[in-house]
Amino acid sequence: MTGPLDVVIVGGGTAGWMSAAGLVGVLKPDQCRVRLVESDEIGTVGVGEATLPQMREFNDLIGIVESDMMRKTNATFKIGIEFRDWGFKGSNYVHPFGAHGKAMGGVAFHHQWVRAGQQSRVADIGEYSYAIEACRKNRFDFPVDDPEAINSTYNYAYHFDASLYARYLRGWCEARGLTRIEGKVNDVALDPQSGDVASITLESGERITADLFIDCSGFRGLIIGQALNVPFEDWTRWLPCDRALAVPTERSEDFAPYTRSTALEAGWQWRIPLQHRTGNGYVYSSAFISDDEAMTRLLGNLDGKPLAEPRPIRFKSGRRTASWTKNCIAIGLASGFLEPLESTSIYLTQVAILNLLKLFPRSRIDPALAERFNRVVDNEYDRVRDFLILHYHATSRTDSELWRHCREMDIPDTLRDRMALFEHRGHIAQYRDGLFSPPSWLSVFVGQGMRPTGYHPMADNLPLETVTAGLEAIRRRVSERVEAMPMHDAFVRDYCAAADMVPA
Amino acid sequence: MSRKVEQVLIVGRDAAAWLTALALQRAFGRTGVTVRVVELPSLLGPADVYAAVPSLTALHGLLGLNDHEVLAATSGVPVLGQRFSNWSGAGKPFVHGYDTQRVAIEDLDFLQFWVKARAEGLKVELEDFSLAAAAARQGRSPVEADGTQVETPVAPGWHFDGRSYVDLLRRAALSAGVEGRAAGVQAVSREGDRIVSVTLDDGLTVAADLFIDASGAEAVLIGDSPGAEFESWRDAFRADRILVASAPALTPLPGHSEIAAFPAGWLGLFPLRDRTAITAVYDSSVMSDRDVAQAIPVLCGRPVIGEVTVEPFAPGLRPGWVGNCVAIGGAAVALEPLDAILLHLIHTGLSHLIALFPVDADQMPEAPVFNAGFASHVRNIRDFQLTHYALNRRFDEPFWDRARDVPVPERLAERFRLFEARGTVAIYDDESFQEQNWTSIFVGHGLIPRSYTPLVDRVPVEEQMAKFRGLLARVAEEVRAMPEVESQFGGAAR
Repeated sequence: MTGPLDVVIVGGGTAGWMSAAGLVGVLKPDQCRVRLVESDEIGTVGVGEATLPQMREFNDLIGIVESDMMRKTNATFKIGIEFRDWGFKGSNYVHPFGAHGKAMGGVAFHHQWVRAGQQSRVADIGEYSYAIEACRKNRFDFPVDDPEAINSTYNYAYHFDASLYARYLRGWCEARGLTRIEGKVNDVALDPQSGDVASITLESGERITADLFIDCSGFRGLIIGQALNVPFEDWTRWLPCDRALAVPTERSEDFAPYTRSTALEAGWQWRIPLQHRTGNGYVYSSAFISDDEAMTRLLGNLDGKPLAEPRPIRFKSGRRTASWTKNCIAIGLASGFLEPLESTSIYLTQVAILNLLKLFPRSRIDPALAERFNRVVDNEYDRVRDFLILHYHATSRTDSELWRHCREMDIPDTLRDRMALFEHRGHIAQYRDGLFSPPSWLSVFVGQGMRPTGYHPMADNLPLETVTAGLEAIRRRVSERVEAMPMHDAFVRDYCAAADMVPA
Repeated sequence: MSRKVEQVLIVGRDAAAWLTALALQRAFGRTGVTVRVVELPSLLGPADVYAAVPSLTALHGLLGLNDHEVLAATSGVPVLGQRFSNWSGAGKPFVHGYDTQRVAIEDLDFLQFWVKARAEGLKVELEDFSLAAAAARQGRSPVEADGTQVETPVAPGWHFDGRSYVDLLRRAALSAGVEGRAAGVQAVSREGDRIVSVTLDDGLTVAADLFIDASGAEAVLIGDSPGAEFESWRDAFRADRILVASAPALTPLPGHSEIAAFPAGWLGLFPLRDRTAITAVYDSSVMSDRDVAQAIPVLCGRPVIGEVTVEPFAPGLRPGWVGNCVAIGGAAVALEPLDAILLHLIHTGLSHLIALFPVDADQMPEAPVFNAGFASHVRNIRDFQLTHYALNRRFDEPFWDRARDVPVPERLAERFRLFEARGTVAIYDDESFQEQNWTSIFVGHGLIPRSYTPLVDRVPVEEQMAKFRGLLARVAEEVRAMPEVESQFGGAAR
């Protein structure tokens, strides 16, 4: 190896600064030299205010202190997502970061739950989940390690202000010697022979060369799209939402340790509690509602006073067919976008960064590394895509055009087969890589209103009385232990209160 | 309302039939399912052997089979790996060892560190860091004569005499409540893609909700099912014969099987307590059956005793579940006995069947899911076997030159490329062999990564060296703590 690989990241924002922090935090100066080009004039999207538990691994890897990060980003805890009105109007379920019950008689919990439910009354499946009950009571505590304890059966993530998180990482990177270049990219030059990106030119006229370019320029994909012409695979036919309006409101009483998603006529509304305010937004399909109507709907459906004008965002669900092309790697929105329904945006960014670190080129860029990177990223996108479509497709709502459309649309075969086997016998196949695991699928299947007609035949090896007693014991353990948890508000106040945390 | 599956009829023979019977009886027997077996005449001769990878131990656990009794009844011996010799011309033999622990430094694969150290002049082979390979080479295993095991991070594979293993399985199944009947099949009555009943050559007609075809390559039930066409893999695997024979027992008993390439294919030596089982898999257009039979004493350096049998072999796969009929073992998939996978293929089919055991006798939407999952599993195993062929370095021999030149499936080609580029093994859903297994044979056959992840450099060089020394010391120490296979299962113990 001849010296450090020269890396230029184009674009700040969450993806840019996470990429920078990953490279600077993990690789050594003699392995790579990182510069980041961004312009203060270009706003960042910063919608991704809710995260997934995997975020903690990223922060741990680069050595971020949780309480410090939370304090400086106005962060709160998140142990699930509440879905209101999704399966039908008036329905309500939580997709928890945790399990439901535990296996009995060699089969997964829900087989016994289905079986018992066919014979007698059983409680809502949420009552067997510690994380869900904690959500219902607005409580939070860290999970314990003892796998036998009921309060070990969950995981947690954060709600935070994504632009503050980006700023936090920027400070962190700059303290470690990263060079930030202020400026807008005017031009991208390709090498006529190899087709590689040779250089970028800033508005100031400054020309920057590098071995590797990381495109974090957002939706427009300045390098990956505009210069390298890597096609974008459009998934609007399955995920019709293409716009959002985001508006912060004053913090309200309801300091929930979960994100709320409420299905509306032409999309859904998010609600994300932060320490100093509440983030809200309406994700909608422009095919089914006008921007003005969406604005009115959002403003009429807030539980606090708006603190700013709603900010419009446009997007398209889909992904680049090859995020790593030549010597350019697109990360974040430049590589693709899936609507924020399951808070996967930052997760997908993180997957890209961690894979880049593993596959980081040493001297020349081996095409096999790019091939692998793209394979992993594609797989992640495909799996999240199917999971998102499920929310739209498995509904009995017929009250508006969007929902009628989604009920009747063709869905990917992978999802159709998965739904069929769940309905027939409660079967949920587990895959090795990628989101989501069986408990997540279970919560959404059941929450959206699907009920298996059968269950695994091995469930019958256990006497029914043993099963009903077991179910009741779990339900009681959950509800008793949850009562002993601190309130989310008190926990945050004690652990990581931000300077501008609003009193409850 | 769905109608529960209550009657299962297995038509088959040998390990596939009886493992299936016992597994279904254990899993569903108490839930009101009746398991019956129509046993077709065995295809096993006195020279046949079953060689198993370590996963079989878990299946035996589920079936309630005791290691000690199985070993005692089958002349069985434990082995910690397979030694591949003569696959690479002048290259050294290597052992694919059955380690259970992924060796890592700071959660990074040890291989990454080895690649770096090797580039900087380290002469120690990767295999020397494998506890299982080291123990196997020294004739040791964690298994004691009474079936108990020394606590150490390796898992033994097994060799059993074929006929006595089947006898043991049959006894266990019958005593667990399975009904058995020896007969042949006269006619199969079908309605659409479903089987209604099977008429036996003794005149009895048996109906069932679910039929299992465990008849081997004959595929007596599934063979005529609509849409169950056999996909031939002859292009990838040229061997068309399997020969079995016996040689006298080895003394001392080795800790591994020996898989030796020869000009027309490969020859396996599988030590048992009272004999050495020999399997030759070869292309009869390169060497005739007679020539191979004559060459065996020379190839393995031992006289052949008893009878030698040769069977034709046609590799490939068919959809294993059609209508209400599920094929397990050779009726669904034909692969060479390379990598000791024959029992594992039965096990894999059973795992999928138990996970998806039909909940409704009248409609079985599980079939396509079973078929996709099973096929994906089998293709990964096939690719593992193909790796040996594709990476061979026996030059100027038509059989081996062709094996090297024939294009491999794209997924395998991608695995090769990624491993060469970065020492990373791409692992998919439905894998039997894990990272350490692929790594062992890739490196063993000479596929050496060109680069390693820069994350390796986060660990200081002195610490890396200390870890290497520590690992070697630990291997030596753990090996010494294992008994010799000979002392437990050979010589006086015989």
